[in-house]
Amino acid sequence: MKLFKKYIPLTIVFLFGIVSLASYYVPNKLSEDYLEVMNAWENIVSAFGFFLGLISLFYAHYMKIKKKVDGWGYSLFVYIGFLLMVVPAIISKGTQLNPDASLTWLGWAFRYLYNPLSATMFSILAFYIISTAYRSFRIKSLQAFVLFAAAFVLILGRIPVGQMIWDSILGFTKVTAGEAIDWIIGVPSTAGKRGIMIGVAIGAVVTSLKIIFGIERQYMGKD
Amino acid sequence: MKETIQKLLKIDRRYLFLLLTLSILIPILKPLGLPNKSISRDVKNIYNFMEGLPEGSTIICSIDYDPSTAPELHPQATAIIKHAFKKNIKVIVLTFIPGSTGLIDQLFEKLPAEYGKKYGEDYVVLPYMANIVAVITQLNSNLYSIYEKDKDNKDLKSLPMMKKINNYKDIKGVINITGTAILDYWVAYVGDKFGVPVMGGVTAISQVGYGPYLQKGQLKGLIGGMKGAAEYETLIKEPGKGTSGIDALNVAHLLVLALIIMSNLIMFFFK
Repeated sequence: MKLFKKYIPLTIVFLFGIVSLASYYVPNKLSEDYLEVMNAWENIVSAFGFFLGLISLFYAHYMKIKKKVDGWGYSLFVYIGFLLMVVPAIISKGTQLNPDASLTWLGWAFRYLYNPLSATMFSILAFYIISTAYRSFRIKSLQAFVLFAAAFVLILGRIPVGQMIWDSILGFTKVTAGEAIDWIIGVPSTAGKRGIMIGVAIGAVVTSLKIIFGIERQYMGKD
Repeated sequence: MKETIQKLLKIDRRYLFLLLTLSILIPILKPLGLPNKSISRDVKNIYNFMEGLPEGSTIICSIDYDPSTAPELHPQATAIIKHAFKKNIKVIVLTFIPGSTGLIDQLFEKLPAEYGKKYGEDYVVLPYMANIVAVITQLNSNLYSIYEKDKDNKDLKSLPMMKKINNYKDIKGVINITGTAILDYWVAYVGDKFGVPVMGGVTAISQVGYGPYLQKGQLKGLIGGMKGAAEYETLIKEPGKGTSGIDALNVAHLLVLALIIMSNLIMFFFK
C-alpha cells in the first residue's frame, strides 16, 4: 500500500514539479507545449476542486440543519441562494442577455438579486468601520499616532473637500495633499510592503521546494 | 458636564449608523459639486499610455470585480472603455471572477451604441475562466487554445477584430480593473515575463499596496478607488459616476476623521 499512498504520489509531484519549474526558464516549443497541456489539466482539476468544495459546503450546512445547531436557519439560505441563481442559469443556458438585449432569467437574477445583495453585504463594512473608528481607535502610543497621521493624510487627499481643507490649513507648507500621499505610498508604505512581499516570496519558494522534494507532505493527508 | 461628555463615548452605535447614512444620502440627493482639483501621476500615466496608442491597436481589459466593489470600480472600467472607444482602440474583455459577467454585460449595454462601436469589430467579450495563472500564461502562446468561443458561444476566430490576434505580441497593453489580487498575477506572469505593459484599477484601500510595482515600473499606471475614476473622467472630459460618487464620499470620509478626533479628544481631556 505504501507504494500507492506514498511513493507514487511523491514521485509524480517531484517529476512534474521539476519539469514545470524548468519549463518556466526554458523558452522553447517543447516547454511551451508542455505548459499548454499542464494549463489545460490545471483547469480541469480546478473544476473538480470547485465541485468538491460545493459538495463539502452543502454537507456542512446539511449537518448544521440536521443537528439544529445555533443559527441553523441561516444554513437554509445557502441552498435558497444557490437555487435562486443556478435554476435561472440552467433555464437561460448561462446567458444573461437575450438576442434582443432583454434580460434572461439569469440576467434578472444577477441584476436584481445577486447584485444588490452582494453590494449590501460589502457596504455594511462602512457601518462597522465608523463604529470601530469612534469607539476603539485610541491614539495612546507613538505607533497609533503614526497610523492616524497616515490615515488622516490619505483620507483627506482622497476627497476634493479634504484637499481644500488641506490647502487652507497646511497650504503654507507648499506641499499638496497629492504630494503627501505620493510620499506616503512611495516611501514608508512601499518599504513595508516590499519587505512583506520579499518575505512571502521566500516563504513560497521554500514551501514549493519542500513539496517538490517530499519534505512537506501535508497535502497527502494523514495516512 | 464631564459625565455628559464621557457618555458620548458610549453612545449607541445606531446613532453613528444614522449619521453615516445621512452623510452619504444627502450628498447623493443634493450633490456638492466640488471640483476635483488634483490628478495623480499614476492615473495620468494610463491616460498618456492610451493617448499614445495608434488607432486600431488592441488592448486587453481584464474586468475582475463583483457587485461588492462595483461602486468604486465600475466607473473606472467605464472611463477606460469610453477612452478606448474614443481613440478607436479595440478591446478584448475577459474575466476571472464569475460575478463580473453580469457587470460586463451592463458595461457594454449602452456604451458601444453611444460611440458607434460594433461587437466583434471593435470589442469582444470572452467568457469567464477559472485558474487565472494557467490562462494568462497560456495566452502568450495561443489565445485560441484557451478561448475557442466568445461569451455568446460564437467562434472567436471568425470575429473580424480577432483575425490578426494570436497572442500577447498582438496586444499593446493590459488594463486590469479588480477588487482582488488578480492584478499581482498580471504583473508577475504577463508584465514581467512577457514584457506586456500592465496597468491597473483597484479599490482605494488596496491602492497603497501597489507602490513597489509602480516604483519599479512593473505597473505602468494605477487608478485608485472612486477618486481615481473621477480623475480619469476629468482627463477624458466625460464626467460620470466617479465624479458624482466622490461627492458622497466627501462627507462620509470627513465624518470618520471627525469621529476619531472627537473620541480621542474626549479620552484625552475628560477621562
